[in-house]
Amino acid sequence: MSAGRTVLPAGYSRLRAGGGTFLLHRRSICVATALSVLLAAAVVAYLCVGESFVAPAEVVRVLLGRPSPDEFVVGTLRMPRLVTGLLVGAAFGAAGALIQTMARNPLASPDVIGVSHGAGAATVAAMTFGITSYTALPYVSVAGGLAAALLVYVFAWRKGLDASRFVLIGIGISVALGSLTQLFLTKGDYLVAQQAKVWLTGTLNGRGYDQAAPLATALLLLTPALLWAARAQRGMSFDDDTATALGIRVGRIRLGLATLGVVLASVATGAAGPVDFVALLAPQIARRLTRTAHTPLLCSALMGALIVVVADLLARKLLSPIELPVGVLTAAVGAPYLMWLIRTRSRTGGTA
Amino acid sequence: MTANRLAAKGLTLAYEDRTVVDGLDLEIPHGKVTVIVGPNACGKSTLLRALGRLLKPRSGAVLLDGTELSRIPSRQIARAIGLLPQTPVPPEGITVADLVSRGRQPHQKWWQQWSDADEKVIVEAMERTATAELAERLVDELSGGQRQRVWIAMALAQETDVLLLDEPTTYLDIAHQVEVLDLVRQLNLERGRTVVAVLHDLNQAARYADHLIAMKAGRIVAQGAPGDVVTADLVREVFGLASVVVPDPVTGDPLVVPGAPWQRPGQPSGDTAATGAVGETADAPTE
Repeated sequence: MSAGRTVLPAGYSRLRAGGGTFLLHRRSICVATALSVLLAAAVVAYLCVGESFVAPAEVVRVLLGRPSPDEFVVGTLRMPRLVTGLLVGAAFGAAGALIQTMARNPLASPDVIGVSHGAGAATVAAMTFGITSYTALPYVSVAGGLAAALLVYVFAWRKGLDASRFVLIGIGISVALGSLTQLFLTKGDYLVAQQAKVWLTGTLNGRGYDQAAPLATALLLLTPALLWAARAQRGMSFDDDTATALGIRVGRIRLGLATLGVVLASVATGAAGPVDFVALLAPQIARRLTRTAHTPLLCSALMGALIVVVADLLARKLLSPIELPVGVLTAAVGAPYLMWLIRTRSRTGGTA
Repeated sequence: MTANRLAAKGLTLAYEDRTVVDGLDLEIPHGKVTVIVGPNACGKSTLLRALGRLLKPRSGAVLLDGTELSRIPSRQIARAIGLLPQTPVPPEGITVADLVSRGRQPHQKWWQQWSDADEKVIVEAMERTATAELAERLVDELSGGQRQRVWIAMALAQETDVLLLDEPTTYLDIAHQVEVLDLVRQLNLERGRTVVAVLHDLNQAARYADHLIAMKAGRIVAQGAPGDVVTADLVREVFGLASVVVPDPVTGDPLVVPGAPWQRPGQPSGDTAATGAVGETADAPTE
């Protein structure tokens, strides 16, 4: 920032467009661009690698819709799973950012507020009772996740949604639902239990457009809400009193962010199972990269997508031909990086 | 004189089942510095929170220009009443200029994030509070006094007629306390801002207030000009403290000097510096 008259906060640029003026955080834009480039590279790599290797040039041809001999392998076999992974990662990343902002707690995630365990309990229960179709199960788990989150709301609501009460009750209900899941697992058939275990880890095996479609629809429909949330999040980094004094309707925003986060996390869980560690990691990494005073929503989503795509690439290739559940590797991909970031940049961000 | 903008009618405030303030009526004098004093837990901060709509009244109402606060949209209130809580929490890793600019929040739209008017007000708020040179520093790195000035700058950027301050001098050393209070006084005199502050220090209150409100157990015991209100009787009634009230040697405002410190029984009194000093200026020590 040049000295003198301008007092634009450090790191921001002003953009005049039409009748409006917008503040742009330069570093966030750089990070978003860099993440997009990395994500594009990861996508190409993902499509190259598999039982047979496809040259990147061919992959790009397929991606651009040009005719290619590898059309079937890339476009029909690998692409659906990739798309699901991208959407799941983005949804979890965004959900994590929303829930952490709303709860003012960097440790909050869909796991903490009941979504994952609700979805888990419902899905495992359905499996034990003989519903194993992959067309039906996602809806069961979405319903389970939403129901559990609603339960948390109802118990946590007392003249408003208090952040810490929400988290504590969420943990309580999660634990209860987790033991319910264990009960189904021990009572159920051995094979079903095995299948349920894989689902509970979170996997993209056999996932395709059938699972991606509801998720894509949800993301598309929620776009206006997400744009609102990206801006509303700024005000939530104050304490309640200061925010209220600034005219920010803390209660409504918190409810909105929580609802949005729960819906995204539920739908994503429905598609791939609880790969929820992504929701915990992605926003934290994104915020440390952008160095903003709030959790950046878009960068969290991009980071989430990147983590899931890279993790699933490894999951497919590491012990090939055995395909690991992606949930096993998301932590391995993101956690060391986050720890490194925390160690090297402990000065800003992340004391809470 | 302009009509008073902020008032309370039959205000009852309670936390859970504990009633803190019961049926209180109050008018905040327009364009004046009002200071609320009283012992711990007398309800003074609670009252201030209610005046700033942070606490919903159990019954009665706070009125802004005659309309109940609960009937006015929060953003609209935020353009009329600014409030600095006792311990505001800044967003992590925020810079000073960014924090001050957040005061513009109630005036901004999503497509109007930084107008020329915003910029002008922010520059002025920072110059006025001598925080301009801190603009790019992280708020987390500032000293207590600097931080408080930054918060006040944010409240100024909000451009409200009324400014509510909840113990703005807590945690500050005496020089910074005076600095903050002088700033408040200056804002009031130069810009005609109505200020309501909760203060712990009775002498500072007497010095800086145009209108002093003394509270005890949720009731207003006395209010008016500090010279009329602050007396040894009032200090005893409100704080339960024996004291001597003398004229402040600098300003002439009332200065409360507490009675002699505790001494071992039988020790000769009168040779300590404190009692000696009191004896010189006041001829009638407490009974």
